[in-house]
Amino acid sequence: MKKVGKPVFFIIVLLIAAMGYLTVAGVTTVYGDSTTRAIKGIDDVRWGIDIRGGVDVTFSPPEGVTATAEEMDAAESIIQVRLVSQNITDSEVYTDHDKNRIIVRFPWKADETEFNPEQAIAELGAMANLTFREGANIGPDGKPAGDTLNKLVLEGKDIESATAVYSTASSASTPEYGVELKLKESGKQKFAEATGRLIGQPISIWMDETLISAPTVRNQINDGIAQITGQFTSQEATDLANKINAGALPFALVTENYNTISPTLGAGAKDAMMMAGAIAFAVVAAIMLVCYRLPGLVAIIALAGQVILMIASITGFFSVFPSFTLTLPGIAGIILAIGFGVDANIITAERIKEELANGRSLDSAVDSGFKRAFSAILDGNVTVIIVAIILMGSFGPPDSLFARILSPLFFMFGTSAAGTIYSFGYTLLIGVLLNLLMGVLASRLMLKSISRQSWARNPALYGGKN
Amino acid sequence: MKNWNINFFAYRKYYFTISIMLIVVTLACALVFGINLDIQFKGGALLTYSYTGDLDASAFQKAAEKVLGQSVSMQESTDIATGKQNIVLSLPTSEGIDAERQAALAAALNEQFSGNEIETASISVVNPTIGGEFLAKCLVAIGFAALLMVFYVSFRFRRIGGWSAGVTAVIALVHDILMVFAVFVVGRISLNANFIAVCLTILGYSLNDTIVIYDRIRENRRIYGASMPVEDLVNLSLNQSMTRSLLTSVTTASAMIVVSLVALLYNVNTILSFSFPMIIGMVSGFYSSVCIAPALWTMWQKKKAA
Repeated sequence: MKKVGKPVFFIIVLLIAAMGYLTVAGVTTVYGDSTTRAIKGIDDVRWGIDIRGGVDVTFSPPEGVTATAEEMDAAESIIQVRLVSQNITDSEVYTDHDKNRIIVRFPWKADETEFNPEQAIAELGAMANLTFREGANIGPDGKPAGDTLNKLVLEGKDIESATAVYSTASSASTPEYGVELKLKESGKQKFAEATGRLIGQPISIWMDETLISAPTVRNQINDGIAQITGQFTSQEATDLANKINAGALPFALVTENYNTISPTLGAGAKDAMMMAGAIAFAVVAAIMLVCYRLPGLVAIIALAGQVILMIASITGFFSVFPSFTLTLPGIAGIILAIGFGVDANIITAERIKEELANGRSLDSAVDSGFKRAFSAILDGNVTVIIVAIILMGSFGPPDSLFARILSPLFFMFGTSAAGTIYSFGYTLLIGVLLNLLMGVLASRLMLKSISRQSWARNPALYGGKN
Repeated sequence: MKNWNINFFAYRKYYFTISIMLIVVTLACALVFGINLDIQFKGGALLTYSYTGDLDASAFQKAAEKVLGQSVSMQESTDIATGKQNIVLSLPTSEGIDAERQAALAAALNEQFSGNEIETASISVVNPTIGGEFLAKCLVAIGFAALLMVFYVSFRFRRIGGWSAGVTAVIALVHDILMVFAVFVVGRISLNANFIAVCLTILGYSLNDTIVIYDRIRENRRIYGASMPVEDLVNLSLNQSMTRSLLTSVTTASAMIVVSLVALLYNVNTILSFSFPMIIGMVSGFYSSVCIAPALWTMWQKKKAA
């Protein structure tokens, strides 16, 4: 192995320190009036609902009702619309088509004082009230106003189906995405009358009191089949079709499976766990310093780097990795990684000690210590990676990478609602991966660099004899 | 740290006796006390309300039973962090506890005990079908993880008798999982998702310990060749890696001990039922990696040679 330059140690320490500062503080750029969060800091961590309180609920159709995949998609879109209309933007919604379940998780808003989980759940699962209304007169509160409030054209029960289509409308020359609307007998007459009267004017479509679309009537529609177009993307057309279908859904969703936690319950636990993390770090650092001196010091710096990078991969520091919800078990995973992270350094330091005892020179002892320790470190870490992947696959949302990989194994089981453990699997995984980076690579560079400084040439600093 | 010189293999009968006794006691306890499944797995409902001041607990229970139309069991606890007192109502089924009924209950309780500032602290309602499925999925996850471990170890250590290394390592893992299970059974903690997370973590962690030792055996076999008797080879490797096994266990366990102490102090039960079994699993993992797996492997090798 090539020699490592003397300044490398200090460069790595500086890099870790800089990274640490950025991870904690984040970077905010101010350009004129607009403030942009360029790099997310520790304040941007998305805490799990076990910490800041919230709701975790599984909706399903009532017993005896067999819902189709389209109906489940429609039901999911009702929930999505309602979450947004209640100003809950930080929600997770997963639909499990095999088991006909919809899992919804959302935290309480930071400024929420009146929290009422029972009501929130009941509102999300209630039957959708879909209406087509005359005009598009929207009041200042976003609700229908004036004529739009009073004059109904159609209701959810008048709708047969809505489908996203890609076709050429009679009035256009190129094909585009749109929604094809089919009406039941009860709706045909009403729609024909209204479209005949309102040519050139909009008819607005509402779910509950939220506007979802306001197409303009082009011509009278007598046969109960209408096209809604408007430069939609494929996704937008599907969304709109789902929302309209939701209004025609013949059932309300029921819940027999939910979890709610008040915002005060978890806040103290979070602070306690943060403190536990700091104490654990101090304890581990003291043990390393006492047992291994110089390699121990290197291990502490590497461990600090590892923890900083772990935090960075949770806050969404690197924009390629989205921010990750951190739960109490997730914090426990970080602390576990603090205890376990020095393992690579321990194995290596022990090897260096042995090589020194065998009469090797300092440089060759350091060199071969790292070389011979590597196979054990790698094999040991691979087993933890396997475990972490299984944890994430079995407890994670159905659309996550590892859940998809493991889906052949879990095909007969539904999606599980254990987001708290998923977070633990994630911190365990990044802990191990970063351990290979910091505990092996960075530690090797630092130790080789520092061992060339004249004051650090004494083998006693490495556990050997003078 | 000093140089170790322990004849580990000579004491194998003690290890096996101790471990078998512990396992027998654990299983006996499980039979006598029964296995307590959390509502996460068996379904049911757990409603936690916080209140201030004095409260007639039995009147509270009666009021809840009246609204819900079924019998409920009740427990009281105090949250040190917030200073609030909690009442936990548990129901054996998830039926009839939908959100509307829930709201009605909260309203009724608030009306009857208006002086106590009753607030819903947490609600957990699990459908028994979903819970049972979740348990089955967790068990499959553990089984699958163990299987992958056998294959991985067998493959990586094919030079020192792959399957014997893989199978003995996994016997050690089963031992560790039983010890974690013992904590839940003896401590009367109901088995929940934390139990599964701890089991899986201990699988990876304990195997890591075993692997470091097998790695040393593999290396020493290369250095000393087949002429060194297998028990000497194992003893040498164990003594060489002893300091590392001990220290890694100490750093990892001390991190979890800190967590347990803080969780105990602040009454964070969800974490305590995670971190304490983890400590026991780590101690067991250290013991099984140093004592059980290498001894079994040595016996296997000797049998093969004989």
